[in-house]
Formats: sequence, C-alpha cells, structure tokens
Amino acid sequence: MEESEDVPKDFIKLKSEKLSIDEVSELVVSPYCGAVSLFIGTTRNNFEGKKVINLEYEAYTSMAETEMKKICRDVRQKWPSVKHIAVHHRLGVVPITEASVIIAVSSPHRAESLEAVMYCINTLKASVPIWKKEIYEDEYSWKENKECFWANSEK
Amino acid sequence: QVLVLYFARSAELAGLRCETLSVPREITSLQLWEEIVKVHPRLAIIRDQVVFAVRQEYVLLGDQLLVLQPGDEVAIIPPISGG
Repeated sequence: MEESEDVPKDFIKLKSEKLSIDEVSELVVSPYCGAVSLFIGTTRNNFEGKKVINLEYEAYTSMAETEMKKICRDVRQKWPSVKHIAVHHRLGVVPITEASVIIAVSSPHRAESLEAVMYCINTLKASVPIWKKEIYEDEYSWKENKECFWANSEK
Repeated sequence: QVLVLYFARSAELAGLRCETLSVPREITSLQLWEEIVKVHPRLAIIRDQVVFAVRQEYVLLGDQLLVLQPGDEVAIIPPISGG
C-alpha cells in the first residue's frame, strides 16, 4: 500500500485545558512544506488601567466549530497551496499570559502560510461565536471584538 | 417549538442558558426577538447589540422571514470576543 500522501487536514479544537504550542505546530508539520506559521493569542493583565484578575471564555461550541471549518475552507480557496491548518481555542478560565488561541498553518513556501494565519485570526474574531469575560477587581466586562459587525462601537 | 440558546450577557439577563419556546412556524426575526423579550423582559436592553443564529446561520433582527421547524436551534448572539 502506498504511504499516505499527506492529505491536507484541518485540526479544529475547543478545549478547557492549557493549549500546547508544540502540539499545534506538530499537527501541521509536513515533509512537503517549508513553512509553518503560527499565531498565539495570549491574555493580557490590564485593560484601560484596570487590573484583569481572570478571563473566562464560553462558546456556542457546535456553531463555533462550523464557523472555524468555514474559515479553513476559505483559506484553502484563497491559498490553494496551504497544506494543514490547526485552530485551537481555549474555553473556561484562562490565566493571564496563557494562550487563548493558537493557529498554525503549513505551506510549501512562507508567503501563503503567513497570510493564511493572519486571515484566520482576523476572520475568527469577526465570525466565530466565542465570548470572553474579563474579570477585574470589583467588576467584570463582556468584551466585544471591533471586528464584530453587530457590536455597538461608540455612537 | 424551537430551542432557544442564550450566551454571555444574554444568558445573564435571561437567567438561563436554554429553553424551548413555542413560536409561529413563520415569523420575522424581529417578531421572534419580541416573543423572547416577552418571556425575558431584561433582554430588551441588548436589543441593538445582538443577532440571532438560526440553525447556526447568523440572522439580523429585522424583517427577514424565518421558516422554523420543530426543534430548530435559535441562539441569541451578543457581540463576540473570541481569539
């Protein structure tokens, strides 16, 4: 039997455990690819002068996975040479400085994977039903991505 | 009867995460919102900031006519903040 030809794959995961950069990049590594590009979204400890104690993420999980698959499909249309795509997003409590999202894309040459990773995170922020709650010392706030077209920006 | 799902701020205002609701089979998205607000009046304050996801497709609150099947999922989607 012939060896697997390294069929392009999408690896999408929502999980509450700590994300692993090694794990995500290893998912997309391929002998046919000279480039793996990574984006890691980490949690900041402050917002507008307020100290962030904790962050919590929740998701409409079935739809989030569907939207993430759509993003992968779009990536493959725009950058056909892209090989593997991995998008891991953490849910639940995420301590400060830990990763909330890791995106990895492999391609034969670097331009496509770099562009595809940027497209993935920008589109994720605009379309994937995941919500982040920042908890401060004496209050909390549901964040709103500026990419979200139905959020009210300043009127 | 549709399954209404509440997330983030809308879940806090409604006080629950999901419930079944009886609504007409054909209804505009705005009318559907108004039906939900009848049950959970506190949701009214986020009216300008939410969209629906009906069978996992985003729908704006407005005149769009929805044709609902029993058991369809309708989710209230406050502004998202993933990534």
